[in-house]
Amino acid sequence: MEDQEILVKFRDPATRNVAFNQLVRKYQQKVYWHVRKMVVDHDDADDLTQDVFVKVWNHLENFRQDASLYTWIYRIATNECLSWLQSKRRKFFLPLNDVGAELAAKLEADDSLAGDEVELKLQKAILRLPDKQRLVFNLRYYDDMPYEQMAEVTGTSVGALKASYHHAVKKIEQYINH
Amino acid sequence: MNTPFRLDDHRRRPHPPLSAPPDRYFEQLPTRLMQRVQPEASGQTTWHWLAALSGPLRTAVASVVVLGGFAASFLLSPAPTPAASANEALAQVSREEMVQYLLASEQRVTLTDLAELPAATPEFPTEGYLHASPEEVQDALDAQPTEDTFL
Repeated sequence: MEDQEILVKFRDPATRNVAFNQLVRKYQQKVYWHVRKMVVDHDDADDLTQDVFVKVWNHLENFRQDASLYTWIYRIATNECLSWLQSKRRKFFLPLNDVGAELAAKLEADDSLAGDEVELKLQKAILRLPDKQRLVFNLRYYDDMPYEQMAEVTGTSVGALKASYHHAVKKIEQYINH
Repeated sequence: MNTPFRLDDHRRRPHPPLSAPPDRYFEQLPTRLMQRVQPEASGQTTWHWLAALSGPLRTAVASVVVLGGFAASFLLSPAPTPAASANEALAQVSREEMVQYLLASEQRVTLTDLAELPAATPEFPTEGYLHASPEEVQDALDAQPTEDTFL
């Protein structure tokens, strides 16, 4: 089902549930992995993914289509992740690096990376980046998102995003080669 | 000497090699989400008209609801029934039962309590006192500790 069809059906109370179900099926994996890359842990990613779609349900009727549905959902997911990381720091009075260290510890506990030292080091280097820079890196490196779309998701200029990604790559290479 | 790491040379993955979500996670997520949003949806429909009202009107509606609740509870509550007087309650207990109670319980029954006071003042209304037979009085006295009886 196309986004436009989903939106039309969602506005009709008789077909709202079907439309929302289709929307979730279409975007759940992208949202989940976008969130999971930021919070690492599956349970946290599950909670946040659900929160994202509940927000989509609550606000989709007022969605003005200034951006594509895909970009709009990504923006909600991005804001949810950043708020979650920020509240985690506030709650436990953690400095910036400690959340990165905690996420890295969760990463090490994950069996999927066992034996792949370079990959583990790469993931640790990514987790050391500041949240927003890590987000920019993930969108560009893993999701291969065009800078223009990233600008809509993050509300940042294309130039600033390119600079941020470039610096992120340098930091990561420096960390691994150190 | 190792060649320095360059990200462009590293094999790019679609996402970090984290463990996969549990089996059937993505099959079940839409259902779980529908369960989460449905109560909210039905709540929104029920109270949608209230949200459409202006602030002062909402306050007025809330006041009417509260006052109506008080009035309804006042009108619907049953009238209080007068408590039966102690004499009426006592009159429903048979004499034998009272004597049995006095004999079996820890009450300190004395000769004065049961016999002498009504006899000394015949004009005194005796409805409130026990009309015990001499045998019953004697039984009660026999049940008393010796020191209480003769002191």
